[in-house]
Amino acid sequence: MSNEKYRSHLERVLREGHFAVTCEIGPPKSADGDVVRQKARLIRGFVDAANITDCQTAIVRMSSIASGVLVMQEGVEPVIQMTCRDRNRIAIQADLLGAAALGIKNLLCLTGDHQKFGNHPEAKGVFDLDSIQLLDMVRRMRDEKRFQCGEEIKGKTVEFFLGAAANPFADPFEFRVHRLAKKVAAGAQFIQTQIVYNLERFRKFMEMARDLGLTEKVYILAGITPPKSFGMARYMKYFVPGLDVPDEILKRLKDAKDKREEGIQIAVEIIEQVREIPGIAGVHIMAIEWEEAVPEIVKRAGLHPRPLAEEVKVEVPRPAPEIIPERPEVEEEVPEAPPKVEVPAEALKEIFGSLRSSMEALRDGINLLHEGLASLERALLGGPAERPVPPEIKPEERPVVKPEAPAVSKEEEERAQKVADLLSAAKAAREAGELAKAEALYRQVLELEAENEIAKSALAEIEKERLVEELLKEAEKKLKEEDLDGAEAAYQKVLELYPQKTEAVKGLEKVKELKAARAEKKPEEEKPAVEERPAAEVKAPEVADILVFAELSKEYRPVSERAAGIPEDVYKEPGTAYIREVTIGEGEKAITIGGTNVLPFHLFEGEMKNPPHVAMEVLDVKPEDWPEALAKYFADVFDDPGAWAKKCVEVYGAEAINVYLVGTDPNFLDLGPEHAAKVVEKVAKAVDVPLVIWGSGSAEKDVEVLREVANVLGAKNVMIGPVVDTNHRALGATAMGYGYSLIASSPIDVNLAKQLNILLENVGVPLDKIAMDPSVGALGYGLEYTYSVMERIRLAALYAQDEKLQVPFVINVGREVWKTKEAGLPSDDMLGDQEVRGIALEAITALALLLAGGDFLIMRHPKAIEVTKRVIDGLMAQ
Amino acid sequence: MIIAERKPIKRILQMIEPFERIAVIGCRGCVAICSAGGDREVEILAAALRLARKRQGRPLKTVEDTFVRQCDPEYLTPLGELKEKVEAVVSLACGVGVNLAADLFPDLKIYPGVDTSFYGANPALGEWEEKCRGCGDCIIDFTGGLCPIARCAKNLLNGPCGGSQNGKCEIRPEVPCVWHQIYERLKARGELEKLSQIFPAKNWIPAGHGGPRERKRPDLQMNSQK
Repeated sequence: MSNEKYRSHLERVLREGHFAVTCEIGPPKSADGDVVRQKARLIRGFVDAANITDCQTAIVRMSSIASGVLVMQEGVEPVIQMTCRDRNRIAIQADLLGAAALGIKNLLCLTGDHQKFGNHPEAKGVFDLDSIQLLDMVRRMRDEKRFQCGEEIKGKTVEFFLGAAANPFADPFEFRVHRLAKKVAAGAQFIQTQIVYNLERFRKFMEMARDLGLTEKVYILAGITPPKSFGMARYMKYFVPGLDVPDEILKRLKDAKDKREEGIQIAVEIIEQVREIPGIAGVHIMAIEWEEAVPEIVKRAGLHPRPLAEEVKVEVPRPAPEIIPERPEVEEEVPEAPPKVEVPAEALKEIFGSLRSSMEALRDGINLLHEGLASLERALLGGPAERPVPPEIKPEERPVVKPEAPAVSKEEEERAQKVADLLSAAKAAREAGELAKAEALYRQVLELEAENEIAKSALAEIEKERLVEELLKEAEKKLKEEDLDGAEAAYQKVLELYPQKTEAVKGLEKVKELKAARAEKKPEEEKPAVEERPAAEVKAPEVADILVFAELSKEYRPVSERAAGIPEDVYKEPGTAYIREVTIGEGEKAITIGGTNVLPFHLFEGEMKNPPHVAMEVLDVKPEDWPEALAKYFADVFDDPGAWAKKCVEVYGAEAINVYLVGTDPNFLDLGPEHAAKVVEKVAKAVDVPLVIWGSGSAEKDVEVLREVANVLGAKNVMIGPVVDTNHRALGATAMGYGYSLIASSPIDVNLAKQLNILLENVGVPLDKIAMDPSVGALGYGLEYTYSVMERIRLAALYAQDEKLQVPFVINVGREVWKTKEAGLPSDDMLGDQEVRGIALEAITALALLLAGGDFLIMRHPKAIEVTKRVIDGLMAQ
Repeated sequence: MIIAERKPIKRILQMIEPFERIAVIGCRGCVAICSAGGDREVEILAAALRLARKRQGRPLKTVEDTFVRQCDPEYLTPLGELKEKVEAVVSLACGVGVNLAADLFPDLKIYPGVDTSFYGANPALGEWEEKCRGCGDCIIDFTGGLCPIARCAKNLLNGPCGGSQNGKCEIRPEVPCVWHQIYERLKARGELEKLSQIFPAKNWIPAGHGGPRERKRPDLQMNSQK
């Protein structure tokens, strides 16, 4: 029998119409040739040829060509694999000439797994050629006797039977068969496919290949892998892209007593099924680190003995004398008592290198999805959605399946089975629309395996679906109630989650129609809510429903994370001193201001012992110049400062009250000290929050007024002011006598502020009883000047050891803002709604001055205060 | 444009360790647009370096400037004067600018303040994506305008490989498989036949594997009478 017309034994088997069997040998991560030889002996006689992988999954191993020679010496014909990852066209051609000289007959041309998946992810990937160009190059070396550059190969050239790989399970599916056609056109004579479990897709692929006439031109060998354990199969199903292991196979493995036996049986059945597919010329068995399974599979599939086995003629240039190709009686023994091959424990680990990285990639993806969903939920629900908090998982416990530990303990196996049961039950429930049941089942899975990605992503999906359901219900309800805006918002939220949701799209169309109809009918009804409200409600309107602000995120991202690699010591500069703390009020309601050693809210570099506080202002007389937008909240209590203060505390949650004795102003009503005392007494009786007593600002009169107030009030821990240079002695004495804190008020100047503090200290007022009022301006009325003076004072206090300025700021925002012209102008098109405008003016002024160092703000409008407090809460979060 | 990213401050501190007076020079070209080396970044880096050195008790003086471009000799002339005033220069230009300055001023100590990353687009604020690798032999007329050299992890010319799943690359789940995109695009245009031909092995000389690349236009050159 002449072999001349065939380039290799494998080619002959195929061309003579036999159903071919190849398998795979993975060389060791060492120079130990015996490992290769032993593996070869194991499968000798059971396969027509054995592939020798070329640093599979980009892990360094003994070279394919060298291993191939060792395999030949054991009487097995090798199929050398050559990838484009590690060699350029020069190295590839050189190695192939060498391989041919060593007697190698078959070559499988691959692009190669990306180096990222291997043990040298930092390596430079060559990819000078791709698999198709490689095939083309080798075909021309062989058939045209030319190197890739076109130069003639003089003398012997390579004589390979050329193969390539195909993955019917990758995307885009329809193009896969066309790419196969390109490989055939480039020179592929046989094809080994990716592992087949999904027979349906494989049949479809083969049908397309037949339609293109490819099965006439190329021998297609179906990839077969016996699942070694339930864990491995499940792992492949969920974590290896494109490997769709049917549930039935999983179930069989799970139920099987002898997993390996079942795995072999499954492989045999798949072989039987692919054999039925027209155009399949053989199978390529990849028993991953389980070569001893190959003989058994081949035998049971009825593929043993191999045809032409006695013809296998492995020509080794320097033949090893003892090679005798066939020894049938020895081979018979092999399956009975497979030689104990010492498979290095690590080997399995590396085989799964690529599987594991795929899994990690998947996990990353799912984590991203989780984060995305969580933030979506927060955005939609206005608060952190409840989700099961996965317990901290130690890294070594992470992977669900531990492929590197083949001996899975019994408990683990049981647990894995349970998880799989739960997962399939949950999936069924979900498909049946029973979301609650599915959810419960997935949660059970998570109890068993906190890191189970399938369950986690499914739960996230379910949550999303449920949210959508609720939103749709709400939208319908709103539609019925004719709340078109509400319905529209709800539908839009649904679309944000599922852009294609038909119910939502239709709903939105309906809303649009209804809106159009309504606009035609009665356009004047467009904004009834806003305008009617103030008129309708004489009493305090609900503050909550105007200007609704979203909750600020309290999630703190450390600066170190945001500062993109800038070392901490470069940007951190805590102050060298603290602002003194001043406490006012008594008992639980007392508040302390100051106590910071950093610029406002620079929590990353120092501390703010106390958050800024906000007091509400109560006047001793009925205010005359308050705009309606502000007055309406207090109109019912204007006559009674006590009731007013009580309302501030009880309705609007004021944490302190500032009593502004404006009525005592000699230029206004010039009311006497007794009036002031009475007012303060009322307020003090009505509320138990800390009090600030703020005189009219007339230096002389304030001395009288505040003395009288002190007489009535007695020794209470209140704060009084304003103290200016002309009355500092008198008021300083009063304050010391009663133990009050003072507001040192200076006209917007660093030096004057400091001087007043020194004067007060000279008369005996300790610095921790002083707060500074630097004189402020509202937005548009000198805010920036105020800001800059405050900032300079604070910098001097914290960074220039200016002790006399190390006291907190008291800032009267409300008074400045609500006296501006803009706060009082009526609503109109240009300036907008009066109330919104006023709130914005007050809140913006407050925020600006908080950032300048404000420790204690006095404000008026409940909504502006609410906004300010929210921002403070947000900025204090860490 | 050329996308760059500021080097870690610690690295830059090492470079300028021996000096007390340095200049930090930005470039208003690509690196300004990708927020790595424009006026703002010069200011930030100089401040950070000064602060860090102040901490070490070895205060640093900095001169800050940003040139129109650093890849043209005419804009680099101020470096001539600067080298009298400072001991070293940290340039926030891409590698081109640093190299040209080093060519022109052999006795000036110039150090790179950025890592020059790739040629990219700015699809959204704060995001840059590689779109071209400057391989010198553009073939994207065959691939629907999408470059497999720059955007495929294996620079395949006959893709997609078996790692293409659901339109994504196996390398990282967020990376689209450019070959999938090419396929979809050509399919939509009815031009799939472009993919049936085998792209021959690529000539990598224009990609720089033939040594430093240069381009000359005699018609634009000064003194090009001959």
